[in-house]
Amino acid sequence: MGTAPVSTETRQAPRPSAGQATLSGTGTLLRFMVRRDRIRTTAWVLGVAVAAFYFANAIQLIAETEEELRALTTMFADPVGRMMTGPGFGMEDPTHAAFFSSGYVLYLYILIALMSVFTVVRHTRVEEQTGRAELIRANVVGRHATLTATLILTLVANLLAALLMWAAALAGGFAAEGSALVATGGLAVGLFFSAAAAVSSQLSESSRGASGMAGGLIGLAFLIRMGGDAAEIGGSTLSWFSPLAWSQQTAPYVEDRWWPLLLPAGFAVVLLALGYWLSTQRDVGASLLPTRLGRATARPRLGTPLGLASHTLKGSLRGWGIALLLTGLMFGSFAQTMVDAAGDLPAEMAQIFAGEDMMLGYLAYMALFMSVFIAAAGVSALQQLRGEENRSRAEYAMSAPVGRTTWLGVHLTVLVAGVLVILALVGAGMGVGAMASLEEDGGQYFGELFLAAVMQTPAVLAVVGIVTALFGWFPKIAGAVGWVFVGFGGVMSTFGQLLDLPDAILSLNLFGHLAEYPVEDIAWTPVLVLTGIGVVGVLLGLLGWKRREINRV
Amino acid sequence: MSENTPVIYAEDLVKEFGPVRALDNLNLNIAPGEVHGFLGPNGAGKSTTMRVLLGLLRPDSGTVTLFGGDPWRDAVQLHRRLAYVPGDVELWPNLTGGEVIDMFLRLRGKYNKSRRDQLIESFDLDPRKKTRTYSKGNRQKVALISALAADVDLLLLDEPTAGLDPLMEAVFQEVIHEAKSEGRSVLLSSHILAQVEALSDRISIIRAGHIVESGTLSELRHMTRTTIEVETQRPAQPLAGFSFVHDFRTEGERSVFEVDGDHVQEVFNDLAGLGVRSIVAHPPTLEQLLMRHYGEDLSARGVGTETTKKVS
Repeated sequence: MGTAPVSTETRQAPRPSAGQATLSGTGTLLRFMVRRDRIRTTAWVLGVAVAAFYFANAIQLIAETEEELRALTTMFADPVGRMMTGPGFGMEDPTHAAFFSSGYVLYLYILIALMSVFTVVRHTRVEEQTGRAELIRANVVGRHATLTATLILTLVANLLAALLMWAAALAGGFAAEGSALVATGGLAVGLFFSAAAAVSSQLSESSRGASGMAGGLIGLAFLIRMGGDAAEIGGSTLSWFSPLAWSQQTAPYVEDRWWPLLLPAGFAVVLLALGYWLSTQRDVGASLLPTRLGRATARPRLGTPLGLASHTLKGSLRGWGIALLLTGLMFGSFAQTMVDAAGDLPAEMAQIFAGEDMMLGYLAYMALFMSVFIAAAGVSALQQLRGEENRSRAEYAMSAPVGRTTWLGVHLTVLVAGVLVILALVGAGMGVGAMASLEEDGGQYFGELFLAAVMQTPAVLAVVGIVTALFGWFPKIAGAVGWVFVGFGGVMSTFGQLLDLPDAILSLNLFGHLAEYPVEDIAWTPVLVLTGIGVVGVLLGLLGWKRREINRV
Repeated sequence: MSENTPVIYAEDLVKEFGPVRALDNLNLNIAPGEVHGFLGPNGAGKSTTMRVLLGLLRPDSGTVTLFGGDPWRDAVQLHRRLAYVPGDVELWPNLTGGEVIDMFLRLRGKYNKSRRDQLIESFDLDPRKKTRTYSKGNRQKVALISALAADVDLLLLDEPTAGLDPLMEAVFQEVIHEAKSEGRSVLLSSHILAQVEALSDRISIIRAGHIVESGTLSELRHMTRTTIEVETQRPAQPLAGFSFVHDFRTEGERSVFEVDGDHVQEVFNDLAGLGVRSIVAHPPTLEQLLMRHYGEDLSARGVGTETTKKVS
């Protein structure tokens, strides 16, 4: 150009409208993302839809008459039930529709939230972490194109999921407006958590950190609404601090109010703006949270196989441990509420439970419920090992004189020890929480509650064993099968009695076999069988790992 | 193990991944104290060979020994005597470079602390940074330092310098020379020809899972051609008639052609009678060696010979 007269074209070139430049390439990227996600996102959306169809129709089969329905509602109407499902609108005069929205929809919302977080992080921070984003950004791609395309993709997935949920509710014969509210509530939850993930992806340099932050927010939202919804029918003030509770506060089929959805919508807009703004404040691949310099030499214990294994696994196990300890403390602290609530229970339940039995039964159930999450910690740690293999770190480590059996053995040692510590922490948390909240002599239950959690060990071990065996022989499916066991266990523990399933299928729920100590006596057969499955699984896994090729393409 | 047991010995090694034959009757023989260049394009089977030698993959047929032992069965004992630098190193993202180096040195047993510090300095690495912030070159330095500071007999280096800058490349050459003078064996895979040429005692060229040529550089030169550029008073055209002269091109007084390695003497005799004004003789480069093997492959795949020539 130099001193030559500036043509109209060149004069315009440096200042196209800012929006256009930062968004160029969005369409192409979006098509590319759809291509890459065609199976994964479709599976998520269909998964949500199938669950919605099942829930909407199953209730009508399980409880055909109003009487049967009324008997079932006690499950969702008491504080424990509300804790697990929601504010419980319309449960005093239940309909199938209200039962659907009070009892099940929360879990559809959680699925949608997880789908949104994973999709956003996968297309933003994961891409940056692997360096693929650089390859993309070196082309004619605007600064905001990736984030925008990601959000459009996630929005479309959410819209589809919401539409299918609406169709599912309508197929169940429920009222159109309430069904639309259920679906729009799902969309709102999806939007909110997509926006939250758009922010967390800017903050953390690692995809695990980004998913962890946004996933932690889902967990926190769940915990807050547990506390809020358990306190009062229809939710208390605390409920209004939880993004998951906002959508439930629309009270579909009962009050049909739309205005609570303004909250997630408004916060989503604010978070999105924040995400976009933060993304302009940093370099590609960098994070906003600073990285510090570390040690120039290693601590002595790192130089052993066990040290390496504990370094690899301790971060995520610690995260699970802290979250579950806090959850245990919180569950324990509801002990007094349970004792009080026993007095207000419908006659048929009060006959079964005395006040303190009610409290212990609730905590026994909570120990079971949390053991599903502890098993999830185990499965996710085993998936991390598969990641170590896929990323060639396992073979690099084993190029030193570290044998295969040693490598897997030390990692399993750390994993099992971690899981046992978490079980103990959960038990201690419940015990301490109960001790603090009970007005009369709370300390007497500590031992029983601690043991209630520790007695769940065999179920967790069985899951770990099965996944380890698969890791040794069929590594590609190990993680997926593990999550199926965990997910199935979660669904069964929450809705088991409501879903009219044959015994053969019920028995596949590894978490359903142990006695509910302390309200039931310990049954040793399931303890031995499950522990046996765990031990045999681990041994099989070690054998397979010793025999199979590492990271074979 | 006796003095003469090869450090690495592979005979008729076959490894198949489904329909792909990654190693196709591969033969490899490396003596104690030898630096062996392992040359081939991407996907030729270099890394697969390394991974078989490390006991990560099990060959479908053939014999392979490392220090006379079975790399699959005796992995742990054998790994005490070797150090491996992977081609594309992924490190533990929240460890620092220094921590990874120390971890490996301790896992391998004996090591020399001052040697470690000295290598960190020569390679100009900041050991306090988390490995996730390192570039590919810096990650490779970490793996190289932890291998070179270890007290081992064999270094398995899989394209170890792909991410290093020329300055670091020079440091690398120096430390490999040191390792050689200490009597260590090195298997150095690469597609950087100059590097292998400068460092190796012997070279094996691998193509599609099979060693197509193996020997010292001078042995290989017999199999290849010297390029001669010459300006002569009288036309050099008559030389084009010889069966051992190839690709003869002439432009005025200047002629360029290739001579089979074992006929150079005859060509020089003839040139002397033509009145040589200037002459430049290029020794065969490994590019040419490779091109002769892969050139056929390329034309077989339908790539024009013209393209092949341009590349060479």
